[in-house]
Amino acid sequence: MDILLSIPFLVFLPMAISIIILSPLFTSNEIIIRRFTKSVCGFHFLYSLFMLLFFNSANPYESQISFFGLDWVQSLGIKFGFQIDNISMILVVLTSFIFFIASISSKFNIRKNHKFYYSMLLLLMSAILGIFTSNDMFLFFLFWELEMIPAYFLIGTNWGNNLTLEDEENAKKSAVKFVLYTFLGSMFMLLGILLLHYYSFISSGLLSAKFSDIVLNDIPHKIQLFITVCLLIGFGVKLPIVPLHTWLPDAHTNAVTPISMVLAGILLKTGGYGIYKFNYSTMPEAFNMVTPVLAILAIINIIYIAFVTYAQKDIKRIVAYSSISNMGLVLLGLCTVNHIGLSASVFHMVSHGLVTCGLFMIAGIVYLRYKNRDINTLGGIASQMPRLYGFAVLIVLASIGVPFFAPFISEILTIIGALNSDFSEVVKYAGILALPLLIMSSCYMLKFLHNGFFGKSSVENVNDISIHEFVVLGSILAGLLLFGLCPNTILSIIG
Amino acid sequence: MLNDIFNIMLPNMALGFFIILLLVLSMILPLKFYKYARLISVIGISSAIILLSSVQTEPQYFGFHNSVMSDSYTLLFDFMVLVCGFLVSILSKNLIKTVKRNAYTFHALLLTAVLGAMNIVSANDFLTLFISLEVLGFSTYFLIMVSKGYLSKEAGFKYLITSAVSTGIFLFGVSYMYGICGSLNFNTIYEYISERNYSIIYSVSAIMIILGLISKLAILPFANWIIDVYKGTDSSVLAFLSTIPKLALFGIVCRLLVFPLSNCFELTFVIALLSILTGFWANTFGIRENNVKVILGCSSAANASYALLTASLVSVYNLSTVIFYLICYVFMNLGAFAFLNMYGDKNSMEVSSFKGIYHKNHGLVGAYAICILGLAGIPVTAGFIAKIYLFTAIANSGLVFIPFLIVLLLLTVVALYYYLKILLPLFEKCDKNTDIITLRPLFSQKFVLTVSAILILLLGIFPEKIIELCKFIAYNI
Repeated sequence: MDILLSIPFLVFLPMAISIIILSPLFTSNEIIIRRFTKSVCGFHFLYSLFMLLFFNSANPYESQISFFGLDWVQSLGIKFGFQIDNISMILVVLTSFIFFIASISSKFNIRKNHKFYYSMLLLLMSAILGIFTSNDMFLFFLFWELEMIPAYFLIGTNWGNNLTLEDEENAKKSAVKFVLYTFLGSMFMLLGILLLHYYSFISSGLLSAKFSDIVLNDIPHKIQLFITVCLLIGFGVKLPIVPLHTWLPDAHTNAVTPISMVLAGILLKTGGYGIYKFNYSTMPEAFNMVTPVLAILAIINIIYIAFVTYAQKDIKRIVAYSSISNMGLVLLGLCTVNHIGLSASVFHMVSHGLVTCGLFMIAGIVYLRYKNRDINTLGGIASQMPRLYGFAVLIVLASIGVPFFAPFISEILTIIGALNSDFSEVVKYAGILALPLLIMSSCYMLKFLHNGFFGKSSVENVNDISIHEFVVLGSILAGLLLFGLCPNTILSIIG
Repeated sequence: MLNDIFNIMLPNMALGFFIILLLVLSMILPLKFYKYARLISVIGISSAIILLSSVQTEPQYFGFHNSVMSDSYTLLFDFMVLVCGFLVSILSKNLIKTVKRNAYTFHALLLTAVLGAMNIVSANDFLTLFISLEVLGFSTYFLIMVSKGYLSKEAGFKYLITSAVSTGIFLFGVSYMYGICGSLNFNTIYEYISERNYSIIYSVSAIMIILGLISKLAILPFANWIIDVYKGTDSSVLAFLSTIPKLALFGIVCRLLVFPLSNCFELTFVIALLSILTGFWANTFGIRENNVKVILGCSSAANASYALLTASLVSVYNLSTVIFYLICYVFMNLGAFAFLNMYGDKNSMEVSSFKGIYHKNHGLVGAYAICILGLAGIPVTAGFIAKIYLFTAIANSGLVFIPFLIVLLLLTVVALYYYLKILLPLFEKCDKNTDIITLRPLFSQKFVLTVSAILILLLGIFPEKIIELCKFIAYNI
């Protein structure tokens, strides 16, 4: 069993496949590459489910899942070690699911450079899985940086779907913006990691960058606070927290549909996971000190961005901004520093991952058919594509937090967690203030539905969704209903 | 005397022999034999690498009345200098084709520069250091001027002027040092200083000595030469210029900081400040430039400034990180300039003229991308490990240096912008109307590029052995 359930296999399988696909010996036939990638992602999803089956959530470190610890750079105490805890287990399954549906939905969106596209997609998958499973700060940082390369190419390259030269230029610009923002954030993160590593070495005398080996006893409070702020800037770029968010709408809007799904569905969650892993569980004391400020930032995220979303005209931009707004809720959940808040935060990562994937998929389907993303000129989709309309109504309802869908549970749990927060009053007030999100999100989401789907269409002869798109939207909807009706599936894993 | 020659001078003697051979052949051979110059210089450098095994290093060997020394540290730097010399000399095929008449002279000068660089590292005496510095400096000056055209003459002249001024400052510092200690020998100076309280004059002279030396690393105030020199010089000479003088000067500066000048605390702050300013200057200049050679020049100045900052916070651990950083850096630069050499110096070096080359040459552009990403410090390349290793050294040096570290980290973000500026046009899709430049790679260029790319990846994935080696050397200095 040890050999069967190995984390390095889970992490490096996509990377190995991506190298195989990129190698000149591999065929450049589009259909073979796509089906190969799809089957690899499908296998990966099944494998991660299999892992979940054997995962002992009460005692994660004693599950049968093998750990892998090799000395990599001894002089710095960097170990090549992987470990899965409750939260990363959930996010690993989510990652492989989202990449699976992204590879299915790539069929209609990718017109050229198939080889490069699929290999970069798998490389991105490997990097993200590495972030969720690595057990060593420097290894975490390595995957964090590594993810930039495939993400750059996936956002910035023209995959044959851009209509005008301007679109192509915009995609390139936003990819560069994404890389520079992420790199800036990760440099602050590196500073934090270096200081943490150094001071932990001084206090314990053990040269190690493992999360569990970090000793904070002798670190002065001011320095702990400084490290926390550095790390938060790094994760805040990814999450994103408000002043650092401007890369996101551009990148998500200019990327092709499957990539927008991956970016919003899972890449943003690496920021939340980083805050959980570094600040929440490794340096709790200093994190408690900054939670009031973070809670205020989370409220700004939620409410300010909700207004910004309402003002948008491009349907992809609406979805992109709405995910920033939702990420504020994830941040608020983490700020509560109690178990309810943490579970809510993770639950919201999953439910928002699914919802935003669905919304980007719908926006992508509309854009493919109508060549138009402007909400004021679109219209009449409901009469021309009734099946898409059905899915759109359900997913939009899910996203505004209607009962029976997963986001409802996570939003309610977040607010309960915030009200139960013992450490600071600010978080409690923030919990009360977060309620308007539900109203605001219904405003912009219903505008999306109303302007886009009703009325009269200017385009004729539009095909309804194909079987591939049906499978993607259907599986997303199934996930939303499953977690909405039995939230215990996730909550019991979190513990 | 004879003993000294056999113990530490054999590689240098071999190089000297080949230099004389090349010069004699340049006078007697007809023009059509120009091709053999490269062969002879490659043989010369290879024989010097083989003869390095005869050098006595354990524990330390002082020869020629203490004016030259050798230990594992100098051996490593000599080895690196020779390897770089080897790779540079096999890259020179295109250049000597354009200047057939000077082919033998070019290689003789290249070997002279290598000889000078080796002697700089093993100098144990300010006089030896000065002479070797001039040997390196003058041959570099001629190497820059070798290629045809007005720009290279301008570049060479600027380099000459800068080195002359900086040498003046160096000598001024050395004269003060002689005035204080009554000797030019490192051992004697160290003994003299450690017995007494040092005076302000001593710090002034130490600062001037280091200032004179670091001008060749393009550290402010002597950094401006880098723009004109990199713009006008042939890429194979740039492969030389960005590696061998850097290695030699870092070798001696680190050793001076550890051994004779270690008591001078003002020096640390002056160097740290200058290197931060240089990093700032080079990176902000780099983002405005459009010429790939100049951008790489700025990047080499910036990289030198990061390493120098770490070296100035003297400790054994820092020294080992600097050595590792240099090893990685050298191969990245060699790879990058090998690609530029392949691309051809006659073509425009504007960033935009590199458009679309990837679609015709996947492998070569991939290897070039590895080199540039290594310079930017992206994971899986050696640059990532080297940067992390270097930054840990600064973080471990104390809280006072944290602001320096923050500035460095921000500068690497700025640097990423111009590295992307170099790389991205290569991958751009072109319409059928635009002309994509076709590469006509020679075997030698492919060899250098591939070897560098493979080494960068290997050092990035399995760095442990080399880090151990660097630590061993740093502890034995």
